[in-house]
Amino acid sequence: MTNQRDIEVYNYSVFEGQEDFTGFRSLLQIGVRAPDFPATLLETGETVKLSDYWRERDVVIEFGSHT
Amino acid sequence: MLEPMAREYAPEGFAFLFVYTREAHPGENYGPHRSMEQKLAHARAFKERGRVGRPILVDDLVGTGHTQYGALPNMTYVIGRGGRVLFRSDWTDPPTLTFFLKYLLDVRARRRSGERLAGFYVECMGYRNVDQEKFQQGLEVAGQQAVEDFARTMQRWTSQGKIPSRMEG
Repeated sequence: MTNQRDIEVYNYSVFEGQEDFTGFRSLLQIGVRAPDFPATLLETGETVKLSDYWRERDVVIEFGSHT
Repeated sequence: MLEPMAREYAPEGFAFLFVYTREAHPGENYGPHRSMEQKLAHARAFKERGRVGRPILVDDLVGTGHTQYGALPNMTYVIGRGGRVLFRSDWTDPPTLTFFLKYLLDVRARRRSGERLAGFYVECMGYRNVDQEKFQQGLEVAGQQAVEDFARTMQRWTSQGKIPSRMEG
C-alpha cells in the first residue's frame, strides 16, 4: 500500500541535487535482464509493461519529466 | 530529447519510449506530484510542449520503475530485443546514443552476413553539451522556485569544488 510519506519522499518539493550518480554506475549491469515494470500509457490510459515493447524490438528508453 | 532520433531510427527497428518520472525541478507551475491525476496532467503538458511523438509511459507515484533503473533525472537505456541491458547512460545525449545505435546496427549486419560475434564488456566516458541557456529556460517553465533552488544547489556544488553528475576526462 503506497503511503503519503513515500510519495512525498520520492517527489521532493525542493531540488537539492541529492541524486546518486555514483551509485548508478554499479546498480544495473550491462548484459543483465532489464527490470520490468507496469506503467500507464499516456495516450490511452491503459496499463502496459516495459517488456511488451522489447519482446519484438530493441528499445531505447529515455527517463525524464517536464521540469 | 530524443524526438529527432526516434524519427530517424524507428525505421531501423528500434522502439523509442519515454518514461515519465518525478519532477526533477519542481516549481510553482509544475510542483511535486501528489496524485496520479496530477502526474498524468504534467505528462500531457510535457507531450504538448515538446511535441513528443514517442509513447509516454507514466511510472507510478512512488517511482517504482524509475528507482529500479537508477532514479536519475534523464537517463537513457537501450534494451535489446528479449530484454537484456545493452547500453545505459546517466544523462541523455543524442551524439552518444547515435554512436551506439550505429554500432548495434553494424553488429546486426555483420551477424546477418555470417560473422560469429560474442558479447563482451565495455565501459566508456561520454561527453555532453552543458550550455546552460536551454536548461535555464526549462527551469523558468517550472517556476521561480525551481530557478532559485537550482541556483542555490549550484552554488553549494561550486563551493565544494565538484558537480556530482560531471566526470573528469
